[in-house]
Amino acid sequence: MTAIFEDFSDIDDLAEGLDDPSAGGRIMAVIELADSADPAAIPFLARAIADEDAGVRRQAAQALTDFDGPETAAALVGALGDPVAEVREAAALSLTELKDPAAGDAILPHLSGGGDFALTACLEGIKELRRPEAMAPAIAALDAPAPAIRVAAVGVIGWLQDPAALPALCGAATDGETQVRKAALLALGFSDDPVAQETLVAALGDPEWQVREAAAETLAKSGGPGCVPALTAALGDAFWQVRLKAVRSLGKLGAREAAMQIGPMMDLPIPNLRKECAAVLGELAVPETRRFLDPYADDTDPDVRKNVRWALERIGTA
Amino acid sequence: MPLVQTATSVPVTIDDAKCIADKGCTVCVDVCPLDVLRIKELADGTKTAYMKYDECWYCMPCEADCPTGAVTVTIPYLLK
Repeated sequence: MTAIFEDFSDIDDLAEGLDDPSAGGRIMAVIELADSADPAAIPFLARAIADEDAGVRRQAAQALTDFDGPETAAALVGALGDPVAEVREAAALSLTELKDPAAGDAILPHLSGGGDFALTACLEGIKELRRPEAMAPAIAALDAPAPAIRVAAVGVIGWLQDPAALPALCGAATDGETQVRKAALLALGFSDDPVAQETLVAALGDPEWQVREAAAETLAKSGGPGCVPALTAALGDAFWQVRLKAVRSLGKLGAREAAMQIGPMMDLPIPNLRKECAAVLGELAVPETRRFLDPYADDTDPDVRKNVRWALERIGTA
Repeated sequence: MPLVQTATSVPVTIDDAKCIADKGCTVCVDVCPLDVLRIKELADGTKTAYMKYDECWYCMPCEADCPTGAVTVTIPYLLK
């Protein structure tokens, strides 16, 4: 959109276009103001986000993606109540691009109350800003009836990585909605607390495979030797995606005792799984597993061949 | 690169009524990685974008980034 050698005029000159009688002219003014990348354009874009034409408002909400700070956040939060869905969605998307923690000042007051859409967008917007003040409203939002709000709330809590929020995350790991449980389990990755480990191990028995996959994946970060038996049992999961994450986590945990269970999985017809098994067998470097790797040195999949060769080298030098 | 010489169906179509090329907008032309779009002047003196070269990859930024929703990319059935 930005021409490399374009010579931008003064912001006030560009902003004059916002008074153009045609919506197209005002849209062009918004685009030019955004292209200027000058923070002085923010007040003008904030004005354009209240334009009478929905196209101009949408363009302004989109243009504010390139800016940051409390003023930008305030304009975007205001647009979350726009009557046109495209404008609201553009504002919600731009909110997630904010990186300046100070922008959170404009979002924090909106974390309690408001409509479902606005609350979800505000939670997603403040997530990466990591404002500790967002913890209490996020925990409260875990009781919201809309699953999207609960997923966004889990995201906020996960990014804050505060051990005090562990009970809330463990509670969310048993939520009735699959996506909430999955998000909560992935968010537990920051903690190696036994309570987090118990929650993750319990989730390996969840009826939804996506949840079991998230639990198996997160155990690589949060798990310890006590989790190895549960992960080894997950090697027999009905879904290969869960088995793959279990293999990876066992490798990361250095579970040499699981090597002989991982070895026979080289015979499975899923190349991704064979690739992962070969890599983990190489990491664990248990000499007895060489016999599982040897037949796949000429596997049809180049990634598998590469990992098998690497694993055999590691075992040979172990 | 072959020029479109005859009227035919092209993947990228522009709604002249919505296009604001007349206001100086060149977003679709700028974002096209294959450089297949151009701005032309219509009989009434207004401007609009159009597909000059039939080399579309169906990558879609022209449709997604058009500020007025004037661009439509028709993806052939077998590519969907």
